Amino acid sequence: MRLRKIITTVEETLVEGGEAVSPVHRVAIVIAVIGNPWSGKGYVDDLGPGIDAVASALGALLAPRVVAALGAPVEAYGKAAIVGLDGEIEHASALIHTLKFGNHFREAASATTLLPAVEKRAGAGATFDIPLKHITDATVRSHHQSVEARVADGPRADEILVGLAAASSGRPKQRLRAFSATER
Amino acid sequence: MIRRIVTVVEETVTEPGVAAAHPTRRAGAAAVIANPWVGRGLVDDLQPEVERLAPGIALALCDRLLAVLGGVEQVEAFGKAAIVGVDGEVEHGAALIHTPFFGDVVREALGGTSIIAFADTRGPAGTSVAVPVWHRTAAATRSHYQTIDVRVADAPAAGEIVVIVAASTGPRPNARIGDRRTDAATITIEELRQ
Repeated sequence: MRLRKIITTVEETLVEGGEAVSPVHRVAIVIAVIGNPWSGKGYVDDLGPGIDAVASALGALLAPRVVAALGAPVEAYGKAAIVGLDGEIEHASALIHTLKFGNHFREAASATTLLPAVEKRAGAGATFDIPLKHITDATVRSHHQSVEARVADGPRADEILVGLAAASSGRPKQRLRAFSATER
Repeated sequence: MIRRIVTVVEETVTEPGVAAAHPTRRAGAAAVIANPWVGRGLVDDLQPEVERLAPGIALALCDRLLAVLGGVEQVEAFGKAAIVGVDGEVEHGAALIHTPFFGDVVREALGGTSIIAFADTRGPAGTSVAVPVWHRTAAATRSHYQTIDVRVADAPAAGEIVVIVAASTGPRPNARIGDRRTDAATITIEELRQ
């Protein structure tokens, strides 16, 4: 894995709608900027070897960091992969849509559900929104949320950003009615 | 009243493609506050709000930086910035960061003595600012001239101000432009014009 840099961001929301948020809502994001393992190889049919070389190591790098940065039990989580302009979205998807990547986060967060994800191809400095859902029940409406992220100088055309996000609670001042089978 | 605090840490592992000589970590902490002067026309005396708000904001931000960088002994460089929402004046941001009520707190908390590098601007929510930092006790230390990009996606709103403190644990990843002692003799304007 050709790792260029790691960016860790923590957002604390203390006030929402003019009202205090208690406890403070926290979201942590950790993003690695890595070389696209398929860069310059033309159309690669079998992405398996590249996935094996990178995905697990990446999950092991990012998962403990995002849990530590959050500094609170993880209640909602999500992931992201943004591929540079010379790559395919399939390359981004390859690295994050594998248990070899996601299970590191599930284990670190004691989570069981699918990780919601954003995949996108973009130039350096693009913004992207990482979706998060509850870690054990993806239908828990209070925890549907997203967080915006951006790396000023990445991804380069031959790079991929891979990120994880974790939240300490549902949305700040969440107050929608709970999801039920009879009310959709 | 602080609405939101965003803390970002950037670790450079390789640059360009080789292990960084200095695996410096740079951090920025940003607080989003309501602009206390907006909607009041030209407020002549900004001092009361500065005294009331600036020290607490400075300390909250320095505490975030110390937590993510691992303590005051890790800090080698520092800087500050303000982004004023479009209904305010840049002077409002300047007021919050360019007085001892802010700067002295930052210097004490981050263990510095130099003047603090800064940027201030006005813009819409999501405006990013490259916050300059330089050495905390020897501002002319060239290896430590660097910036960290800080941005809050939903701030500043028109009536808000984003106040930022930034710090770095060392020099640029592969600093190699010498310093004042190693510079060759410079060229003069007279020579350039010949």
